[in-house]
Amino acid sequence: MNSTVIIRFLACLSCALAAQSAAAQGDNAHGGGAADAQQYHFLGFGDIGYLSRDGTDEDGFVIGQVVAHLVASMGESFSVFGEFSATARDTEYATEVERLIVKYDFSDRFKLSAGRYHTPIGYWNSAFHHGAWLQTSVSRPEMVRFGSEIVPIHFVGVLLEGNLPSGDLGLNYKAGFGNGRHANIARAGDAGDINGDKAWMLQLGARPRKYHAFDIGVGVYNDEIALPLTADVEETTVSAYAAWSREQPEVILEYLHSKHEAVGGGASGTTDGWYAQFAWRLSGKQRDWKPYARLEKTEIDASDPLLGGRGLDYDAGIVGARWDFNPFAALKAEYRREEFGNAGRENNFRLQLSFVLTQL
Amino acid sequence: MSRTVHIMARLTGWLALAALGLASTPRAHAEEIVTSSPIAIVVHRDTAVDNLSLEELRSIFLANQQFWDNRMRITLLVRAPQSDERDFVLNRIYQMTEAQFRQYWIAKMFRAEVPRGPKIVFSTDMTLELVLAIPGSISFIRADAVTDDVKVVRIDGRLPSEAGYPLQ
Repeated sequence: MNSTVIIRFLACLSCALAAQSAAAQGDNAHGGGAADAQQYHFLGFGDIGYLSRDGTDEDGFVIGQVVAHLVASMGESFSVFGEFSATARDTEYATEVERLIVKYDFSDRFKLSAGRYHTPIGYWNSAFHHGAWLQTSVSRPEMVRFGSEIVPIHFVGVLLEGNLPSGDLGLNYKAGFGNGRHANIARAGDAGDINGDKAWMLQLGARPRKYHAFDIGVGVYNDEIALPLTADVEETTVSAYAAWSREQPEVILEYLHSKHEAVGGGASGTTDGWYAQFAWRLSGKQRDWKPYARLEKTEIDASDPLLGGRGLDYDAGIVGARWDFNPFAALKAEYRREEFGNAGRENNFRLQLSFVLTQL
Repeated sequence: MSRTVHIMARLTGWLALAALGLASTPRAHAEEIVTSSPIAIVVHRDTAVDNLSLEELRSIFLANQQFWDNRMRITLLVRAPQSDERDFVLNRIYQMTEAQFRQYWIAKMFRAEVPRGPKIVFSTDMTLELVLAIPGSISFIRADAVTDDVKVVRIDGRLPSEAGYPLQ
């Protein structure tokens, strides 16, 4: 079954490449030059921060992530996207292929791709990626932070996406199939799936033409996770989001509910997580400023066979301000009052200078 | 609470409160961009489109629609900054500031939703040349600069010369 799907995908991709080659030859025959040329675009993101935590003397400067994003478009419909990061650790820089996507656009309704993605669960995970400058706040919500165990941040596989014929409603979809979580559940199965059960996901969204800054969507994700010491766990996550990105206001709401069940019966439990972020871009001479606030909560059943007992419950209130002092750089100040399931309450302050490198 | 966090927390709180205070002042009206001639939406002559609603046009300019109905790729040509035509289109079609427009396209590329941003053109003559040369292209120029080499698209059923045309 799985190999049949893969063979069909490869056949489909081969046809797409053959069609692409024919189209490029057609362009040449008509003297077209722009369409068949390879075009590259580079984006770079980076951030430098200062972190001050309650009850510790380890305050100090932090080099955040350095991110390179390369887009290569080869002809009208074939493109490659790559996102690569270097993250400061205690003794080294950890490098990672965050995303690597080979994509063929058949039409607005069908865009087929293969590679490593940020899993299309909810909004934030597939909206801001590793671009700290793109997001209003200093950091991502805890339930979708990088390295999170709550949500499978990455998946490796194939994705079909596009618009649905819906007129002004602007409905769209993403359907994915691929390797689910690794035995280290914070990672994807990059080097291959650890069991024969593939993850699948479906997300339906809407961007109404009349309210083009409005995004709303629901999704479902399913996987069977092989754990080294205990029974496999079936994971089903449903998510919903709504976002208004016009900045006056900017609102992002996201909710997810996961059910985890030991395969063959036994333990089961649920995880619920949500956040609500509100921001407002000021007007006139103060338009470079954007104050914001966010509330977050994650609750996990103690009986949850995947996430229970890991101390991942979380509660936070965040307030901050962003200053876009340059068209390509922003300074953000953020105060966070957080309560971790395994580490108690903490107050901390973060300052971040983030920037983008672009030719746009 | 440590002294540093305490001080920084207060600073952040004051900053946010001050900013919210400023936000509550009456918002200045968005600057209304006016050109001496209506803005015409022009496409390659072979493009099978004669009329678009303003919402459809916005969807194309936002790259939410990237193909024409005959599955030909849409190539969007946008004037470089500091032209009246660009200011008009950002104001009326995109409803964005220059900074928001830039961030929109950076995000769009970063999300792998588009393989490239709009092609930048530097003059009306260059716009006309490229619309003529690139099948599937769409752009905008002042209506009084339109030539027979390109096709003018009706918006909401109206041409730039007609009363009620939405881009004037």
